[in-house]
Amino acid sequence: MRTQQLCWGEAQGWRRDGDASDANLVLYFGTRQALASGARYGELRAMFPKAHIVGCSTGGQIRNDDVSDEEIAAVALRFEATQLRLASEPTSGPAQSRACGEAIGRALKADDLAGIFVLSDGLKINGSELVAGIIGAAGPNIPLTGGLAGDGANFTETLVGADCPPQGGTVAAVGFYGPAIRIGHGSAGGWDEFGPRRRITRSNGSMLFELDGQPALDLYERYLGEDEARGLPGTGLLFPLLIRNPAQPGHDVVRTILAVDRDARSMTFAGDMPENWVAQLMRGNFDRLAAGAAEAARQARAGLGEHSDQEGLAVLVSCIGRRLLMGQRTIDEVEAAGLELGSRIPRLGFYSYGEISPHGASGVCQLHNQTMTATTITEAA
Amino acid sequence: MHKLFARQLAKATKPSGEVDLNVLGELVISAYEESDRDQRRTDRSISLMIEELDQLNRDLGRMIEERTAALREREAQLQAQNLRFNAAVNNMSQALLMFDGLGRMVICNERYLRMYGVSLEVAKPGCTVRDLLEHRKVTGTFSGDTDEYIESLRASIAKGVTHAKLIELPDGRTVSVLNHPMDDGGWVATHEDITERRRTEKKIAHMAGHDSLSGLPNRMLFHERLAQALVGVQRGSQIGLLYLDLDRFKSVNDSLGHQIGDELLKVVAGRLRNCLREGDTVARVGGDEFAIIQVGIERPLDIAILARRIREAVRAPYDLAGHAVMIDTSIGIAMAPVDGIEADQLLKAADMALYGAKADGRGTHCFFEPAMDARMKARRALEIALRKALTAGDFDLHYQPFVSLEDNRITGCEALLRWTDPERGDIPPAEFIPVAEEIGLIVPLGEWVLRKACADAARWPSHIKVAVNLSPIQVMHQNLIPAVVSALASSGLAPERLEIEITESVLMHNTEMTIDALHRLRELGVRISMDDFGTGYSSLSYLRSFPFDKIKIDRCFISGLPDAKDSIAIVRAVAGLARNLNMIATAEGVETPQQREQVRALGCTEMQGFLFSRPLPVEQLSLLLEPYRVPLARSA
Repeated sequence: MRTQQLCWGEAQGWRRDGDASDANLVLYFGTRQALASGARYGELRAMFPKAHIVGCSTGGQIRNDDVSDEEIAAVALRFEATQLRLASEPTSGPAQSRACGEAIGRALKADDLAGIFVLSDGLKINGSELVAGIIGAAGPNIPLTGGLAGDGANFTETLVGADCPPQGGTVAAVGFYGPAIRIGHGSAGGWDEFGPRRRITRSNGSMLFELDGQPALDLYERYLGEDEARGLPGTGLLFPLLIRNPAQPGHDVVRTILAVDRDARSMTFAGDMPENWVAQLMRGNFDRLAAGAAEAARQARAGLGEHSDQEGLAVLVSCIGRRLLMGQRTIDEVEAAGLELGSRIPRLGFYSYGEISPHGASGVCQLHNQTMTATTITEAA
Repeated sequence: MHKLFARQLAKATKPSGEVDLNVLGELVISAYEESDRDQRRTDRSISLMIEELDQLNRDLGRMIEERTAALREREAQLQAQNLRFNAAVNNMSQALLMFDGLGRMVICNERYLRMYGVSLEVAKPGCTVRDLLEHRKVTGTFSGDTDEYIESLRASIAKGVTHAKLIELPDGRTVSVLNHPMDDGGWVATHEDITERRRTEKKIAHMAGHDSLSGLPNRMLFHERLAQALVGVQRGSQIGLLYLDLDRFKSVNDSLGHQIGDELLKVVAGRLRNCLREGDTVARVGGDEFAIIQVGIERPLDIAILARRIREAVRAPYDLAGHAVMIDTSIGIAMAPVDGIEADQLLKAADMALYGAKADGRGTHCFFEPAMDARMKARRALEIALRKALTAGDFDLHYQPFVSLEDNRITGCEALLRWTDPERGDIPPAEFIPVAEEIGLIVPLGEWVLRKACADAARWPSHIKVAVNLSPIQVMHQNLIPAVVSALASSGLAPERLEIEITESVLMHNTEMTIDALHRLRELGVRISMDDFGTGYSSLSYLRSFPFDKIKIDRCFISGLPDAKDSIAIVRAVAGLARNLNMIATAEGVETPQQREQVRALGCTEMQGFLFSRPLPVEQLSLLLEPYRVPLARSA
C-alpha cells in the first residue's frame, strides 16, 4: 500500500509530496466554503482518474501535526491487494437514518468485507441510527469507523462527496475487501465528568427536553453564562454530556449538541438520549484531552499488530467540541496522537460533528461524540 | 520556550525568516483570550457546580433528616408494636411457637417454656422442632415417637393443611397441638392445655346421661344402652328388661319429707347397683322408677333370680337420718327377643308387666305375657267409658238397709254405686272403682254419689240415715269438706243423718291429714264409720286414733258363723270393743236367721245383709221405707 498526501491552499493550489496517480482511493477534507463549488473535486478527479474520491466538509482539517481551517487536506491511497467498494445514499433527515444505514450495509455486505469507513452528513442524520442500520445489514463484526461531516461552529449545512462534488444530505461509505487489509481503531475522550448526576426525564430520540424535570437548555445557558449562551449550539460543545444506561454500567457514551430550540427549550444531540438514563456534564482539561487523543491513537496502532510499522495511514476524526474548547492548543492533541502513531504513519483527519468507531470497552460500533477516534489502515505485505 | 509560543512563532515567521510581529501578536493575544475564556468557564462551572452540589447536599441533608425522623418514628412504632406483640404472645393462654420455611424456630412464648419446663437456652431462636421434642423427651414432657411426629407434621405442612394432634403427657395433662402452615413454608404451632376442658366435657357428658341424685344413668342414656343391647340381641343373645318402682314411696316422701325420700332413692340406687353383674345397666327413669338391662341371660330363671335378689335388697330395712324405713318394690319383666326386639316395644311390655305385678299385689315380680297387652287395652277402653259414663249419667245408686238388732227396724241405708254401661252391661264396682281412683275420676264421681245419696235420703223418713263410702283419695282431697257441705246444703239433709264409711286403708295413708279431715266432718255433725273392719291390718290403734261412731265387722267373719270358732271370737271381741268405746257394732253380710241370732248374742247392735234386704234401687227402697212414715202420719 502506498500513500500520497496532498494539500490545497487558496494561494498555492494543490501541493503534493509524491506521485500516486494510480491511487484507487482518495480521501479529502475541507471547509464547507472550500468544497461547496465542486471545483476541488474536479481537480482531484483529474489527478486520480481511477480512484474513488470521497470527502466531506469539516470543522477543521488535520494533516499530520497541523490543524488548519484554510487548507484542504487529502490523501491518495494505492491498495495493492485490497478491493474497494463505494456506496452512497441520500438522507433528507434524521428519521431516515436507520434505513439509510441499512441500504449502505446491504450495498457493501460481502463475505470478504473486512471494514467500512463512513462519512455522513453531519446534521440531517441520527448517527446512532445510521450506525445501527449499517452494522445491522453488514454484520456486527465488521469494523466500522468514520465520522459526521462538520460545518465549523456554524451548524448550518454539511457536505459529503462520493465520486461526485460534495453535497448536503449524503452518506458515503467505503468497503474494504480481502484478506490483506489491516484496520485498527481507537476511540477516547479524555473529558472529565463534573457536577451532579442527573436523570433524563424527558426526551424523544435525539431530542432532549428535561434533566431532573428541568429544561436541559436552562442548565446549559446557566453554565455557559449569558455571553457564551448566545453562541449555542456551538458553545454547547464545551460541555458535552456523558450518558449512561443505569442497567448497563461501563458502557458510557458521550453526546455532543447539534442544535437548540429556544422556544421548546430543547436540545438536539448527535445520538439517542434515552429517558431514565443518567446524564452528567463534562468539561475538558487541555492536557487530559490530549492524553485522550493519544490513547485513541495507541489503540488504533495496536490494532495493526505486527503491521504497525508498515506504510499505512491514520485517519483521525476528532470532535469539533474539542477544537472549540482548546483553540490554539488543539494542536496538542494532534501531536499527542502523532507521537503514539509514529513517524511512518501519516495522519489525515478532520474535526467532526460525530465520530464513529467500535466502543473501546464493548467493541460494539457506535456513534461517539467529543472523542478523538483513530482508524489505522495498512495492507499485509 | 513554551510549546505554544514556539508554534506561534513558527506560524508568524515568514519563509524569509522574518517574524511578522502583527501575526505573532494576534496569535498571542488570541491565546491569552482563549486562556481567559477557559479560565472564566472553569471558574463559572466550578462555582455553579459547587452551588449545585451544595444545594444537592442541603437537599440530601434535609432528606436524610426527614427520613431519619420517619425512621425513628417507624422504629418507635415498631418498638411499641413489638411490646404489644410480646405482651400478647406471652400472655396467651396457649403456648405459641413459630417456625420458618427451613424449620427453624423464630418465636417461642413464655407459656411454652412454662408448659413444658423448657429453658430459653434450649428454646432459642434457630432451634428445630426435633431439638425441642428430644429435650422434652429427656425431661419427660413428651413420650411420643419423635420421628413419627415430625414426619406427620412435615407431611401436613407440605400439603398446606393444619396438623392437629392431641398429646397425652406422661404427667396426665392433655395438650391439643395445632400446627398451622404459613405461606413461606413455615408454620405456627399452638399448644393448649385442655386437661380441665376435657374433664369438664366428660363431666357434662356424664351429667347429660346420668341422674344427678342417684348417679345412675338417666332415661336418655338408658335408651342408648338398651339400643346397644338390642344390637346384641339381633346377633343371638337374650336380654332381660326389668322395670320397677318402689311401693308406697310416695307415703315415705309425704310423711318423712323429700330429703329422706331422696336419701332413700340414693340408697336404693346403690343396692340395685350391687345386685348387678358387669355389663348390666341400672337407670333411674322416673321419680321412684328404675329400669335394669340384664345381659347374657340364658333362660327366664336367670331374670327371676335377679328379680328376687333385687326385691330382697330393696326390702332390707333402711336407716335414714334416724328413721327406720321399710319399702318394697314391684318388678315388671320383659325379655328380648321373645317379647320384642324394638326398644319401645320392650319398654311397654316391661311397663305392662309392672302393672301386672302391682295388680297381683305389690311386692312381687311379674313377667310380661301377651294377655297383659289385651288386658291393658281393655283397661284403656274402661277408662274411656268411665269418663263418658259420668257425663252421660250412666251411674246409679242402690241402697242396702241396715237394721237394729234390738227391734229389727231399719236405721239406715248404705249407698252402693252401680254402673250400667250401654254396651258392657252392669260393671261391678270392684272393677271400675280402682280405675276411677287411678285416673282421678273418683273425686267427681264421689261428689256425685254424695249429692245423690243426700238428695235421696232427704226424701226418706227423717230417722233413716244414709251411709256413703269414701275412697282414701277422696278423704285426702282438699275438696272433701266443701263437697259434703254442698251436698248437705243442697239436699237439706240433717248432717247427723249422713254416715261416712271409710276403710282401714284410709288411715294407712297420711294419717295426720286423714284424721284432721275426719274431725272436720265430725264438726259438721256427720257420723263416721269404720268399714270392713278386720280385713286390713286391723290395728287397734286405728280405733284409738279417731272416735268412730260405728264399726262394721267384715262379712268374712260373719260368713263363718255360726260354727267357725275364730270368727266367733273375733266378732265377740270387736263387738265388745265397740260397746266399751260407745260405738255401734254392725255385722255385715248376715244371710241366715242363725247368723242374725248369733251376732246379736255376740254383742253386735246392727246387722246388714241379704237376710233383711239386698241392695235396692231407690224406688223399691222407698216402698220398703213406706211403713216407717207411719209414726209421722200418726202424729199428723
